[in-house]
Amino acid sequence: MSSPYLHINGIRKTFGDVVATDHVELEIAEGEFMTFLGPSGSGKSTTLYILAGFQDPTAGDIKLRGKSILQTPSHKRQIGMVFQRYTLFPHLSVGENVAFPLRVRRAPQAEIAAKVKRALSLVRLDGFEDRMPAKMSGGQQQRVALARALVYDPPVLLMDEPLSALDKKLREEIQHEIRRIHQETGVTILYVTHDQEEALRLSDRIAVFNKGKIEQVGTGPQLYASPATHFVADFIGDSAFLGGELAAVASGRASLRFADGTVLADVPMHGTGSAGGKASLMLRPERIELAAGPGAAGASLPVTIEDVTFLGNNSTVSARTGWGDVLSVRLNFGHPMMGQVQRGDALHVRWQPQDAHVFART
Amino acid sequence: MLSFLSQGRRGSGWGMALPALLLLLAFFVIPVAGLLSRSVTEPQPGLQNYETLLGSFTYIRIFLNTFLVSGVVTLITALIAFPVAWALAIMSPRIASVLFAVILLSMWTNLLARTYAWMVLLQQTGLVNKLLMGLGLTSQPLQLTNNLIGVTIGMVYIMLPFMILPLYGVIRKIDPAILQAAALCGATKGQALRRVLLPLAAPGIASGALMVFVMSLGYFVTPSLLGGTSNMMVAELIVQQVQSLVNWGMGGAAAFILLVVTLALYALQLRLFDAEAR
Amino acid sequence: MLLDFDKLGLWKWILSAICALMALFLLLPILFIVALSFGNSRWLIFPPPGWTLKWYHDLFADPRWLSAAFTSAKIALVVMVLSVALGLLASLALTRGTFRGRAVLRAFFLTPMVLPVVIIAVALYAAFLRLGLNGTFVGFVIAHLIVALPFSVITISGALETFDPSIEDAAILCGASPWEARFRVTLPAISHGLFSAAIFSFLISWDEVVLAIFMASPTLQTLPVKVWTTLRQDLTPVIAAASTLLVGLTAILMIVAALIRKGKSR
Repeated sequence: MSSPYLHINGIRKTFGDVVATDHVELEIAEGEFMTFLGPSGSGKSTTLYILAGFQDPTAGDIKLRGKSILQTPSHKRQIGMVFQRYTLFPHLSVGENVAFPLRVRRAPQAEIAAKVKRALSLVRLDGFEDRMPAKMSGGQQQRVALARALVYDPPVLLMDEPLSALDKKLREEIQHEIRRIHQETGVTILYVTHDQEEALRLSDRIAVFNKGKIEQVGTGPQLYASPATHFVADFIGDSAFLGGELAAVASGRASLRFADGTVLADVPMHGTGSAGGKASLMLRPERIELAAGPGAAGASLPVTIEDVTFLGNNSTVSARTGWGDVLSVRLNFGHPMMGQVQRGDALHVRWQPQDAHVFART
Repeated sequence: MLSFLSQGRRGSGWGMALPALLLLLAFFVIPVAGLLSRSVTEPQPGLQNYETLLGSFTYIRIFLNTFLVSGVVTLITALIAFPVAWALAIMSPRIASVLFAVILLSMWTNLLARTYAWMVLLQQTGLVNKLLMGLGLTSQPLQLTNNLIGVTIGMVYIMLPFMILPLYGVIRKIDPAILQAAALCGATKGQALRRVLLPLAAPGIASGALMVFVMSLGYFVTPSLLGGTSNMMVAELIVQQVQSLVNWGMGGAAAFILLVVTLALYALQLRLFDAEAR
Repeated sequence: MLLDFDKLGLWKWILSAICALMALFLLLPILFIVALSFGNSRWLIFPPPGWTLKWYHDLFADPRWLSAAFTSAKIALVVMVLSVALGLLASLALTRGTFRGRAVLRAFFLTPMVLPVVIIAVALYAAFLRLGLNGTFVGFVIAHLIVALPFSVITISGALETFDPSIEDAAILCGASPWEARFRVTLPAISHGLFSAAIFSFLISWDEVVLAIFMASPTLQTLPVKVWTTLRQDLTPVIAAASTLLVGLTAILMIVAALIRKGKSR
């Protein structure tokens, strides 16, 4: 098998006693859009800084096209990067900012002019060469930063929460631009964010970071439909968790017993656990429905309605289980039960057997 | 998050402070330490220099003069600086910028030139005496130089900017809505000033006052030109001991006392400033 | 209310009057010496009976004034260069360094500003007596550098603090070596701070009196020392002429500094 384009091989980084990343292992294909998703302090940024060369890993290696780049200093790695904050050079015009990487490489004047023009055109800032950064909006500044990072055709483009300083509307607009630029240039992008929506919108694949480790790598739909861990299930999409105890475990399926003795049998199980251990049942709110009677075995629970909130195109129903946990159920506008359900009703929540997941809790 | 970017590869960076550090060690710390050590070694080891300084009324009076002048200068500058800083903070920016230019020009004009002006203005036949006599406030010229009155006027002139500028910064940061709230609560202007504006500006006043007081304590040029030899201040005493009397022990002892008072007040100011920042 | 100038009522006029008096108090002595320097009264009578350029003639005819001014300028220029260079290095260490005790080091760099100059002057005088540096050019430069450096450190580290270090990181990723990034990006970006530090340092050295009195020798003295020794003899209008030139220089440097600040905000 040929070696991967970019190989993050068992990276570990410690600051004193604090472990920032622990054996991060990831292979990225050429032209792929890979997002590191996770809460702050999960090690995603540290991994990016190690790629950029701002920090040296305690252990592990990073290989680009089969060759280690760890011994190459930052300025010779040829890597492009867009930062969280606006990092345009304040004393240089937009054109000179974009030309900077070419000037330090002593490129000929004609080539610089042509490449700057092309890069600015790529980010749709044609004709902005003479503008000073201070006179531009945050969104425009980040586009210039993007042009500056792409002007020397880097093998990898790193983006460290580049949109976090922008407001929501502008953020969506530039996300769109980033997708287009990725498709047009085919550059390999490593993108760091803590925003799951942004990750889902932009990425080919997502690596979910938690506590310095990668919990799961996969496409957005894969992560959503079959999360490997409790953390991934919780971090991506809305989900409801019902806590209970494992009654029996066999070949990837489990029986779960709740506090009032209710048992759900034969649910897909993730992670390792044995009978008697604690576990939770995860359900996506849009995959649950309300019904008068029970459904298939192991795929329904009796509930009492606590509250109904009308939200326009849907209503959110709070349903209390027999042992006191509360589940949210969404009723879309026009659903036959909308307007019928009332506080105090005794009903059932039901779901398709493959939509429930059990995660062992450690 | 990005703050630890510069860690790792680039080393700790203290080497860049080395040239300045060595310069200050060789030509500031060691000389000052040397001077202070002479206060307990010359003419012979012991505390006799301090006993002389603190035991004789001649020297005690010099210290009292210094504290008196510094205190009065601080008080007068504070009384002038508060309304000026207040007005500067709220008046139209154009007029304020003119006033700032005046303040900065006087602050950066050569110290000797300014002191010279006051020597001429305050002399017996000077403009100030002429004005006072012309207005009928006095029948004969007043003695305004070679005494502490002259020193005080000259020092107020020099210290005023150092009080106005920090006070301006503090008042500038007060939210006008707080005073509108005070008015809505029924406070008259006088009450709002006394109970709201002044307490809010107090950290700035305290910080500016400490700075002016500390600077005044060690001032040399103005006291020696506008004051007389009979009304010495500490800085003049140190110079006189070292230059005219070549008594390094006494000079060092007086310098040590001045240094301790200065650093103690500086520490106090840092404290106040920190408390304000928090 | 109290912070709305137009709603102050009577107080507005009181405050305005105090401001006007303060401005007169600060400005009049300066204007007064300028007027005196052109007045023909040897005894500084004001208003002068007539006008003359005699005092400027006397000033420029006296080689001691000229050589003192020349010495001052030379010392101030050397102090300016060294103060900015050392101040820049020290500020980089203070703002970018990761070593422990940076806060202590910063406070230490500022102490020469806090201590009474007279103590530094006497202490350096004693040390220079041993080293044979009294009355030398080097001695002057060292003495003035000690008091100019804190201002340089404050100004430059202030400029560095407002400059985001990740901009320097961006330059490095763009392919610039760490030192190239500093020279091509960081230094130009904080140039206003460097200019201010240069002007401060120059003016501090140029105007400094107390240290200079101790460092001076009969053959080597700065302009303030010359003014000082003349002042102690009599209040000749020649000093008014010299002072007027000094005021003019200050005003020019202030305008330059203001223009730099304006250029920065543009």
